[in-house]
Amino acid sequence: MSVLGTPPPSPMADVILSVHHLTKRFEGLVANREIDFEIPRHAIVSMIGPNGAGKTTFFNQLTGIIEPTSGTIEFDGTSVIGMAPHEVAELGIARTYQNIRLFADMTVLANVMVGRHVRMKAQWYEAVLGLPHVAREEAAVEQRALELLDLVGLPRRYADDLAKNLPYGHQRRLELARALASDPKLLLLDEPTAGMNPGETRQMTDLIARLRRELELTILLIEHDMKVVMGVSERITVLDYGERIAEGSPEEIRANPRVIEAYLGKQATA
Amino acid sequence: MAELISRRQLRRVATIGAVAAVALLYLCMVGLIEAFKDRNVVTGVITLGAVMLLAVPLIAGYRAALLPRDASASRLAAWQRVLFGLVVGLIAGAVLGVFVVIASAVDVRGVLVRISPPLLEFLSFGLPSALAFLAITGLGGLTGALGALLLVSPVRIRNAVTSAVIAVVFMSMIEPLLRPRLEQLDYTAISDFVYKSHGLTEAAAILFLVVGAVAAILWQPANDLVRRTVDAAPVESRRRIRRWAIGVLVVAVLILPQVSGTFLAQVAVLVGLYMLLALGLNIVVGYAGLLDLGYVAFFAVGAYLTALLTSPNSSLGIGLPFFVALPIVMLGAGMTGLLIGAPVLRLRGDYLAIVTLGFGEIARVLFESDALQPWLGGVQGILGIPSPFPPRIDLDLGTMHIFATGPQVLYYPIFAFCALAAVFAYRLSNSRIGRAWNAMREDESVAEATGVSTVNYKLLAFALGATTGCLSGALFAVQLGSVFPGSFDVFVSITVLAVIILGGMGSIPGVILGAIVLIGLPELLREFVEYRVLVYGGVLVAMMLLRPEGLIPNRNRQRELHEADSEEEQETLDGDLMPQRGTS
Repeated sequence: MSVLGTPPPSPMADVILSVHHLTKRFEGLVANREIDFEIPRHAIVSMIGPNGAGKTTFFNQLTGIIEPTSGTIEFDGTSVIGMAPHEVAELGIARTYQNIRLFADMTVLANVMVGRHVRMKAQWYEAVLGLPHVAREEAAVEQRALELLDLVGLPRRYADDLAKNLPYGHQRRLELARALASDPKLLLLDEPTAGMNPGETRQMTDLIARLRRELELTILLIEHDMKVVMGVSERITVLDYGERIAEGSPEEIRANPRVIEAYLGKQATA
Repeated sequence: MAELISRRQLRRVATIGAVAAVALLYLCMVGLIEAFKDRNVVTGVITLGAVMLLAVPLIAGYRAALLPRDASASRLAAWQRVLFGLVVGLIAGAVLGVFVVIASAVDVRGVLVRISPPLLEFLSFGLPSALAFLAITGLGGLTGALGALLLVSPVRIRNAVTSAVIAVVFMSMIEPLLRPRLEQLDYTAISDFVYKSHGLTEAAAILFLVVGAVAAILWQPANDLVRRTVDAAPVESRRRIRRWAIGVLVVAVLILPQVSGTFLAQVAVLVGLYMLLALGLNIVVGYAGLLDLGYVAFFAVGAYLTALLTSPNSSLGIGLPFFVALPIVMLGAGMTGLLIGAPVLRLRGDYLAIVTLGFGEIARVLFESDALQPWLGGVQGILGIPSPFPPRIDLDLGTMHIFATGPQVLYYPIFAFCALAAVFAYRLSNSRIGRAWNAMREDESVAEATGVSTVNYKLLAFALGATTGCLSGALFAVQLGSVFPGSFDVFVSITVLAVIILGGMGSIPGVILGAIVLIGLPELLREFVEYRVLVYGGVLVAMMLLRPEGLIPNRNRQRELHEADSEEEQETLDGDLMPQRGTS
């Protein structure tokens, strides 16, 4: 099994995201080194690795928040290098955050509707003039936002509450709904089950699987919880010290000695 | 005694008493009492100076009787709380009493210039020292107890009494406005019934007491009734009611200068100018969360551009008609907004505030500078700005005769612009644009990642804010007929910001009310002119302590600041949603 170099050809030829030789240096510290990575369309792929392995840095480069030192990122045939985050969002990549980052003092509904921003067309002068098509769009988006709340399992009665007053589990769901509102093609989830108990974790895992099915999404998730990773993903990539040390199906990863070493230390492999 | 009042409560009562005592002494020392000891509220009964003095122990007594935060206090009986009020009042009164005794014996005027013999005479009721001390202390205690009594009495009575007192004080305060106007309109009989040597007559005082009390008693049921009726009504007629309400409001705004006379119209014009500024700044600060302390720059740019383009005396000397110049002015101000916005795009919070503060000052210095004097007129400014509005309107419509001069005319375009700005801002705030601004205010990088182009939206906020501000500047230039750099100092920026904060950030009705209260009231209470800044500061401090979300808060912000009240609710909510935690 080749664990380094170019990834093995995927079973589905249709690749939505392909990353080549991606490197990010922060003044001497190499956060990502020569990473090659591909996601087949409609797949659920996980990225795992110990703390500080460079997973979030990788995410931030995909979404345009930080610019790579070298390498290429191609999403659906377009290079995202040098794009501003909002342009990447418009292209169809949406994300959630490891530590939930909602618009705390806005209502639940408004949070989701901001997520829809890139797909809305009303210009400021049209809004000022109160043109009828602006109101129509607004109503349609509100309806869509409510449906998204249903989809992620957030009861509609919370719609007018402030986001920060939601219980923790619901905040996670809201973040998901906000990300989905832009009709993304690729959804990046940064530790979607962090801080959840086993029951909530199972619900979230089911939800992720269902979203892929119903919305025909491609999903990339960063996770610590091995149960989640093994249960939901089709392919797994392992990072350690900024390098990709393994790639394969859950079974392959579970048996990979380098992965075990990275997670448990050298003795565990002996 | 330990049984009666616990140590902690004793300390609390002592603190409030001390604060009240300091407040009393302060009022005397700054000269407020001396200035108003002969201003009648109810002629022959009570003067404004006395009202001010009595208000202090009254409020302190009320505060003392309020339940302290700790739970042990909830067992306090009503009579204990009244006792608290009494003690607080006694402390405050005693301190003032001692002060009066000392000041009567020793001449303190060398240091405290405002402690004059007439003031001491007023404070001591003309009694000899020992008696005066007892009288002041006793009166303080009595008032404090009264304040506490007010708190422990049923809400209805409390509201009725408060409202009655406020009605009387208010009616007597507006005497300088109302009386001349009544006489001008030939309602001398009414004015003679209501007022006597600047205060209310006793009969009128009783009338207003009753009116105030009745209004307070009827307010709640009437409010409920209206709400129930409106809620019960079908959507169609609810919309009609709404339309009627707006119609009535519009008519009231339209006829106001006709009824009020020129002085009030002048005040209204000033209120309108600030209202327009505040509506513009509200976009920048309230919606987009960009703390701009140099907003006056746009006001100045609007005024100067108007002056340059319309005044034949300006360096351009082209003398365009106002309404031809206006679009150019707005465009120019919008560009200035972009110009100031662009370099500060990367700045956040405090840094942005400081830089914009600098920009505001730079603008003023430029307008004042000798280097630009050939174009902008330097300190002398630009004169001879023609008004596009007729100096007087004299219409005879058969049954109705409309006559308006100066501010009564200018009032209409200003409020038309205010109404437009309010409607536009309202629409923006409820659109994709307003949401994007709010998201940016909450978390800039997440907003960007969610798809909001923060660069564009910041610039848009600056440009729209600038355009609104310049409208106010243009009307200001027209109103004065000239512009001087001195009109555009940093206090304009601060005042506009204060209007927004007082009214409620991001709330359009709040901003409107804020402008009326903060700009209008000081103009109306001309008697206080010497103490205006003092009252101003006092009001702002009180507001921030008691109602930080503003007079008419934005719906969301109110919840944010008062969520401590609903914390228990929140806990139960959390509890039942995460029952599995820990069990599995």
